[in-house]
Amino acid sequence: MKSIAQNAPGKTVLLMGNEAIARGALEAGVKVCAAYPGNPSSEIIGTLAKVAEEMDLHVEWSVNEKVALEVAAAASFAGLRGLCAMKQNGLNVASDFLLNLNLSGSRGGLVLVVADDPAGVSSSNEEDSRIYARLGDLPLFEPANFQEAKEMTKSAFKISEELGLPVLIRSVTRVSHARGNVCLDELPRSSPKPRFEKSLRFHALPATSNHKLLHEKLNRAKEMAEESPFNIYRGPEKPELMVFTCGSGWMYSLEALINLDLQERVGVLKLGTTWPLPDRFVLDHLKKADRILFIEEVDPFLENNVKEIYAQNCLALGLKAFFGKASKHVPNVGDLNPEIVTQAIQNLIQVPYEPRPADYSLRAHEAAAELIPARALGFCPGCPHRSTYWAAKIALALDGRGGFILGDIGCYSLGMGPSGFGQMRTLHAMGSGIGLASGFGQLDRFGLEQPVIAVCGDSTFYHAAMPALANAYYNGANFLLLLLDNSATAMTGFQPHPGTGSTATGKKAPVIDLKAICEVFGAHVEVVDPFDIAGTTERILRLLQDKIGVKVLILKRECALVSAKHQKRLYQVEVDQKRCLGETCGCNQLCTRIFKCPGLMWDKSAGKARIDEAICTGCGVCTEICPASAIRKEAV
Amino acid sequence: METGEKINKGLKALEEKVFTQDLCAICGACLSLCPYLRSWKGRVVKLDDCNLEEGRCFAYCPRTKIDLDEVYQGIFGKNYEEIEVGPVRKIMMARAKDPLFTKKAQTGGVVSALIDFALREKMIQAGILTPRDGDLLPHGQIIKGRKEILSCAGSSYVSGPTLEALNRGPWKGGERIGIVGLPCQVLALARMKTSKLEKKTPIDRVALVIGLFCTWALDYIPFMAFLHERVDDRSIKKLNITPPPERILEVTAGNKLYRISVDDIRSFIRPSCRVCLDMTAELSDLSVGTVEGKEGWNTVIIRTVVGENLLKRAKKAGVIETQPLPKDNLSHLKEASLLKKRRALDTLNENGGIEKAYFTLSANLIKRILSESKGIAT
Repeated sequence: MKSIAQNAPGKTVLLMGNEAIARGALEAGVKVCAAYPGNPSSEIIGTLAKVAEEMDLHVEWSVNEKVALEVAAAASFAGLRGLCAMKQNGLNVASDFLLNLNLSGSRGGLVLVVADDPAGVSSSNEEDSRIYARLGDLPLFEPANFQEAKEMTKSAFKISEELGLPVLIRSVTRVSHARGNVCLDELPRSSPKPRFEKSLRFHALPATSNHKLLHEKLNRAKEMAEESPFNIYRGPEKPELMVFTCGSGWMYSLEALINLDLQERVGVLKLGTTWPLPDRFVLDHLKKADRILFIEEVDPFLENNVKEIYAQNCLALGLKAFFGKASKHVPNVGDLNPEIVTQAIQNLIQVPYEPRPADYSLRAHEAAAELIPARALGFCPGCPHRSTYWAAKIALALDGRGGFILGDIGCYSLGMGPSGFGQMRTLHAMGSGIGLASGFGQLDRFGLEQPVIAVCGDSTFYHAAMPALANAYYNGANFLLLLLDNSATAMTGFQPHPGTGSTATGKKAPVIDLKAICEVFGAHVEVVDPFDIAGTTERILRLLQDKIGVKVLILKRECALVSAKHQKRLYQVEVDQKRCLGETCGCNQLCTRIFKCPGLMWDKSAGKARIDEAICTGCGVCTEICPASAIRKEAV
Repeated sequence: METGEKINKGLKALEEKVFTQDLCAICGACLSLCPYLRSWKGRVVKLDDCNLEEGRCFAYCPRTKIDLDEVYQGIFGKNYEEIEVGPVRKIMMARAKDPLFTKKAQTGGVVSALIDFALREKMIQAGILTPRDGDLLPHGQIIKGRKEILSCAGSSYVSGPTLEALNRGPWKGGERIGIVGLPCQVLALARMKTSKLEKKTPIDRVALVIGLFCTWALDYIPFMAFLHERVDDRSIKKLNITPPPERILEVTAGNKLYRISVDDIRSFIRPSCRVCLDMTAELSDLSVGTVEGKEGWNTVIIRTVVGENLLKRAKKAGVIETQPLPKDNLSHLKEASLLKKRRALDTLNENGGIEKAYFTLSANLIKRILSESKGIAT
């Protein structure tokens, strides 16, 4: 694909939803772009970082979403256009600033894209972030396809500037990560010079009068929404059923009507401006049908807001029947898909349709299994986290006091599953592992005898762990932090962070030393290579048993996927078939049954383990765990 | 039991029947056989599940279901029937002649002297003994010379995983091995020898088993915590329990001697010891203990030809000297041994019945132990 920075008006290109959003921002003349990576939002800033130089942008990976929004807001206050992107969890982090920023107002166009992850495919939670638009009285757009993703972004900047308010765009995985045709417009040639006007003030006080002003801005947004080209009705004048939808629900609904051959009988009203809703536009369409079905991802946001408009106007509108999440015609958790929507409509209008069999998805998996090697959700071959959890598992077992691991957000969250030997027992927000440890670390005075361990990755550490660490030291908590320094924000795609020595645009950056930070925060800090399993085990045990207070063990070893890009494998590893004990007493498949590095394979016919040459990274860690010393490594 | 149902005789059963019942004797027989078990500070720790239906860990354990007749048949060619002190060829008193051994010894230095002699005479090429680390934690170690033997002399009243050293090696292959062990360890060795499972250990090269008398051993972690609360100096040099009726634990630490009543440490006795039938290490080639009222002398029970030959040669070479064991001492020994058996049966009765115990013992023998131990003063 050619650069999204090509100035080729009228040209149609294939873009990922997130790229379309990035292109929209470019066409709107954005100057400052900031984000903390998080699926499914990461490609927005990633794409812009690649063209930062040629488009003369400041693009940064900020340490967290709140800071990212602050960085983008500063551009806005200075009269430039700023873009901020994040996933749903990120909006929770940024919300404190956002819910003051709404009252303080903004100046240059300021757009906040939040990409939700329905079903939590790559998230710790499932959350519908649209509620923040209502909470903060902020205009909200929901793109339904790729062209809209670009157009809405552009439009959002304009509206933001007109209203002096940040504008939210809510995408979902199926919009952000799918690809489609997008017709390009012109890129702007010039941009204003930034200047902070000292006559202006950006703060929420006095809160009540600013709140009133905010409501007035929202009313203006409502008026704009009445005329918005993103609100579309498609269908007969008097439909038997009217589908109210937004975002990805639009395409699903159109497909469902084709499946059921109901295009002539059912109408679809697609709303692009889902907050504030255009009351008159909504009422005009409510009048057309007596039965309304809501199709939207996750929460009944559109559903409830439309019902509210109806309630206010029910005498004029007469009786209507509403279907959706409240009536249980549509699930209120997980991803939607055309089949779910088809069945919801078929439920309300009885037309012949053979639904997808209940075991369809199971059979699809089985069919795929014949084509794709079966791999459990787990750490990559050569991943240092596997070694860390292995050592921690042994240390906790030997310690014998029932110690447990408090988790955090990152690749190492997989420590909950078999890949991390089920060692991680909690998972919440970024930095919450250390926060929880800070609390557990106080409970010994009430009789808690179990050692407390928190895990945290390097990127997560800069993001949100430092306040918790300061709190722990200040308040005298007792726990061990395993700081998993793999020198990458690996789970979201290897974005750089303050510990990596480079910025989003590839410029050299100072390295903020994790060890030094922890020491400044009063922790006893040691550093170990997690590939040294015996040494790591011994360190963890000793730190658990001999030291009181905040202890940090930095597990330093680069992410295997990052290493693979710049260095050759360290070892050639092989299993001596004569020595391998296989399933017999003395081993019983430790390497493939428990350790489970994907680089090790179980050869059923031979009853022995083997190395999968294609994916073994040559880390050599398995040679240390084999009880028969059957796995051998040779330096390459 | 349902017919056709497979009884697990692997790690799963070991965990259920031994670890969770707190019956592990920390003998070390299950260690270094596989990656799932490891010892740490006087405990055996399970690291991961093993789903094998049958395993050496279970088969070798001295606290899993044991047919005593089968084991005694395997070692002595006769059933378990000598209920006093086990099979006996000869009983006597003995002591080492070289002060090198007697000086460091808990009593008569016979064990150190005999292992040293067996090594020098090439009756064995390696010994497995139980040294203690700086904090009195015992562990099994392969020893080849006198200096190492002397470092293992004495007792800390804490048992350790001695037999792990046998499983772990390293062995060149071909060495004949002599092992000094507690009754539980000697029982485990007998189980290892008589097991029908594929061995993959040098158990068949164990040419000499010297048993140590034992009434109980202490649980390492709580005992050490207890000692360190009372003893200022962290480096404890020696522990000794004075003979009855005094029964005082003497702790030598730094330049000080601390005296602690044995009653104060009884709560640290391993539960496994409370169900142990064996005071005199009955499955050994020869067993060695103290002699009440005769300081500096060991009681020696010779049980096998191997044991008898060793003692004969050592005596002939002037390594040890012997005397007949006085009649009173012999009857005291038998009483003490019977008393341990009776206490074990009493404990098992309290804990759900002898029929559920880790060994099978005929009703007749149980009756004999109970009746013959009647009247022995506790």
